[in-house]
Amino acid sequence: MTAVQSRPRRQGMRATLLVLPAIIPVAIVVIGGIGTTVVQSLGLMPLVGTPALSVDAFESTDNLLGSALLSLGIAVVSTTIAAVVGFFTAVLIISGNWGGRIVGALSAAAVTVPHLVGAASVGLLLSDSGVLARILGIPPESWPALVAGPTWFAVIAEYAWKESAFVALIIVGTLATRITSYDETAAVLGASRGARLRLVLFPLAAPSLLVASAIAFAYTLGSYEVAWLLGKTYPEPLSVMALRLFNSASLTARPEAAAVAVITLLLTAAIVGVAMLGLRRMRAWQ
Amino acid sequence: MSVSTTSVSLDKPVVHPPRRMPGDHGSPLTQSRGVARVLRIVSTALIALWFALPFLPLMLWSFANQWMHPAAFPMEAGTDGLTAAIANGGGRAFLHSLLLSLVVAAIATPLGAMAARALSRGHVRFGKAITVLLFSPVLLPPFAAVLGLNVLLLRAWVPPAVGVVLVLVAVAIPYTTFSMRAAYAAYDDGFDDAARTLGASSRLTLWRIHLPLIAPALARSAFLAFLVGWSDYLITLVVGGGHMITLPLIIASSASGVGNESSVAVLSLSAVIPPLILLGFIARTRNLDPGKQR
Repeated sequence: MTAVQSRPRRQGMRATLLVLPAIIPVAIVVIGGIGTTVVQSLGLMPLVGTPALSVDAFESTDNLLGSALLSLGIAVVSTTIAAVVGFFTAVLIISGNWGGRIVGALSAAAVTVPHLVGAASVGLLLSDSGVLARILGIPPESWPALVAGPTWFAVIAEYAWKESAFVALIIVGTLATRITSYDETAAVLGASRGARLRLVLFPLAAPSLLVASAIAFAYTLGSYEVAWLLGKTYPEPLSVMALRLFNSASLTARPEAAAVAVITLLLTAAIVGVAMLGLRRMRAWQ
Repeated sequence: MSVSTTSVSLDKPVVHPPRRMPGDHGSPLTQSRGVARVLRIVSTALIALWFALPFLPLMLWSFANQWMHPAAFPMEAGTDGLTAAIANGGGRAFLHSLLLSLVVAAIATPLGAMAARALSRGHVRFGKAITVLLFSPVLLPPFAAVLGLNVLLLRAWVPPAVGVVLVLVAVAIPYTTFSMRAAYAAYDDGFDDAARTLGASSRLTLWRIHLPLIAPALARSAFLAFLVGWSDYLITLVVGGGHMITLPLIIASSASGVGNESSVAVLSLSAVIPPLILLGFIARTRNLDPGKQR
């Protein structure tokens, strides 16, 4: 009798022991990291002096709003391009002809490239004496300022490039088989190319497109090295600002860096929340 | 009346067209014709160009000794870039990167597989909350966690290398857990049960039945974890505090300078190639997946 009763508990125990080794490092990094950052931003962990609760760090940081808007703008534009290009790339890959196979191999290669390497090569490609300017034979003085220029073109291009490959990978990976069979059914029933794209492929891909875009958006908002390497020095995105303050010699800068990090966390949480609401609506509607 | 016999050779190769299963990619039904075909070819070419273009400067600059501005293509080919890259410490950094990524993969893959196994069988209490926690590092801005963690790890006297591995493992766990969860969703427990019924110990079942069956999924998870370690810049920089010089750190310092294009290209190319080789291996192991055989 006791053996029968203790079985679920033993199973639960075993399951907990299996999950625990993964939970511990994640909890240290996520809860410990965010917790310490929030505590620092509220002035409770100063480098020198007595801890005192205050929101000074949020108020005293210069141009926090401008940086937040800049970060959001870069993330919105690059994620939108990535979502559109990624969706059409996925459609091409799923079609399965030789062109799709080439695009599939190239996008898989792009996914494995580190963002920093992507930024370095985009820099070599788009700068005023870059490879593209040389091949097109345009002199540096008439080449637009794509790298470190006012439009943030190179930064957006690098994010859009990498994340479009990621979006395509997620869509192809999660829905390829289902999409193809529905697509064929619709074709048998006489649906035109445009109708199949609009009424079959897009709705089926939409949930994974949304999830992949949300992940890409969160990544772009929190990423540092691309904007640092290819961007203008002022105004600066949130991540670049936080790292500059973190490394600066001033004693008040640490709480300010933490405040910038907290703002980024809140923006990310808001975006992810909106995406989750959208996903729930999509599920209800399917 | 005569009877003649002719021999029929049985070992003539019979060529079957590849069998199409429902749901396979592409079919005559959905193939385009006419204007749509032209449009498809043009859009394929444009998207292929979009993905291929950033690789172009790496190819051109890596082997260029001399490439003055107005020239459309490198003027003199050579290995000056390679020499400069090695002089900058590229070789050591490459080995550091390799070691770091392998350690991260070796730790994060079993942790993710164990968690995925438990979560996929639904015996875990607070399963939903745990799933959210294990996925959260994907959405977390790395710099936001690292700013706080740096203080935490310094106060706890954690050596920088251990700190870097800890944070990278935490960042890799979502990828390993969720790719293993997809594999376990398609995994048939009947294989393990059959082995146990036939008298195999649980350890023997794990090593001879379970692990070989999930090996391809494990390889894919390990690849994702490897990529997390291989691609990281910020965590190695801040938590490592300059003690760990990996390939991305060298690339960043070369790329932020002026005039060393060929060195940057060689270093970047050496960061692109190892994951591509691994990707080639992963693509070939795919057919062994027990989930896909059914």
